[in-house]
Amino acid sequence: MVIFLPREKAGELVDGLYKKVDSYHLVENLESCLACGKCVGNCPVASLTPSYNPRQIIRDVLTGNMRRWLQSEEIWRCFWCAGCYTGCPVDIHYPMLVMQLRFRAIENQYGLKYFTPFKRFALRAREDALTFAPGAKGRERIMRLRTAMGVSPWPEVSEKAVAEYKALFDMTGTTEWLNAINDEDDKPVSLTYAAGRIKDEQS
Amino acid sequence: MNRVRVVEPDQRIPEVPEAIFLFRSCTGSMEYPGTENAIKEILKLLGIEVVMDPDQTCCSGYLLTCSGYLPEFSLGVTARNMSIIEKSGLPPYVFCNGCYGYLSELTHIMEHNPAYKDMANGLIGSLGYHYKGGNNIFHVQELYYRLKDEIAGKVVRPLNGLRVGCHYGCHYLANQYGILDDGGYPAFHEELIEALGGTPVFYKERQMCCGYSVGRGFTHKEELVQPHLYKKFKSAREAGVELITTVCPGCNVALDREQPALAKKGYEFDIPVIDMGQLIALALGVPVEKLGFGANTVSVDKVLKKLGVGKGD
Repeated sequence: MVIFLPREKAGELVDGLYKKVDSYHLVENLESCLACGKCVGNCPVASLTPSYNPRQIIRDVLTGNMRRWLQSEEIWRCFWCAGCYTGCPVDIHYPMLVMQLRFRAIENQYGLKYFTPFKRFALRAREDALTFAPGAKGRERIMRLRTAMGVSPWPEVSEKAVAEYKALFDMTGTTEWLNAINDEDDKPVSLTYAAGRIKDEQS
Repeated sequence: MNRVRVVEPDQRIPEVPEAIFLFRSCTGSMEYPGTENAIKEILKLLGIEVVMDPDQTCCSGYLLTCSGYLPEFSLGVTARNMSIIEKSGLPPYVFCNGCYGYLSELTHIMEHNPAYKDMANGLIGSLGYHYKGGNNIFHVQELYYRLKDEIAGKVVRPLNGLRVGCHYGCHYLANQYGILDDGGYPAFHEELIEALGGTPVFYKERQMCCGYSVGRGFTHKEELVQPHLYKKFKSAREAGVELITTVCPGCNVALDREQPALAKKGYEFDIPVIDMGQLIALALGVPVEKLGFGANTVSVDKVLKKLGVGKGD
């Protein structure tokens, strides 16, 4: 039996993918990647996920292999701790790339189940101008704690702040964009990268 | 790339301000309200006036990096909050690494892409705001370090050698430029702990992320966040850490709230996690009732007992 090495077919590569991914121009120096791998060495997620490899994802964006990262579970794992950016000798802001990769995945309805909780939090934050304000029971707890310290029961956020926060949501199309995402359209994703390192048995 | 990476505290804050604009953190005012209050108490003792504005909203960076907000929205919100700060004429101080990282990043983007700044100004212009730009954003930990000697001189409850492990969090040091210490191996928190009379512990995974960043605690808790935290707590326990301090209420949530879940799996660590501000306030003799330790999942009582702090003290 002849085993062929997995190869990317030129016809499947997307021309100019990098520009399409970085539509907000936030990682304009991606092409200067030296493939040194410091990002991988500094990555807490890579240390637990043998197939998660920022260097490989950068390569796929540059060569135009869209299918692999789009359908991968790996892009949803990044902690955004920026350990990669701190170690990068050419200052590539990899977390900003991940954010945009996820926007592209959402557009193409891949991995929506990893997005659904944040849709809920975002629509809730629209009402409070605060992120992660809890429901009635949690609110009671917060008010009790704050009152015991002798401060106002609820963080002092004015009605004006809430109204203007909501207005910005609507003006930028964020409300519309969130509501249009339906998690029933979710296309499944899987670990698509090859494991590159030996898993630590301890963890 | 010729910007300075590490600056001395008296270069970063040449003159100690008489008043600051304290930027409200959502988590720091709701999940752990003691964080916000501790800062107010410390600054009262140091003679610095704290101004907060009810018109300020969430920095809205966190949900952006979770891909839950569109960048246009977060840029608009940042411009609006910054314009409120500009109007106050005071230096903005945040007490959450998240707020620090996102405000710095988003204002940086607007500084370097005039089109984005115009877009944001277009949005907030209709609400009656204008964002000028060019502001410095500070974190209260910078002020603590700048005033380290003053703080040391005011300690009334020394930490008696309490073994404290510091957690720096990611988004202050990840900023890389104009920060107080080397992002690769910082030690200024440890200096603060020493100034308070504690024993700083350099545990192995000291600089490891809290694991809750951009909500992976909601999507990959079992497969990623818990094994990650296990590594961190294991190294802390091996080094004999009795208390972990954070400078980010978000990190506090991850490190504190997740411990019962680890305990359920047979990994009990029971290491209390509090904000650096709460620890400083404690050392400066602020009444313990003002510090909101009731919000903590892992009880802080054994630390208080060790320091000889009881109810009403």
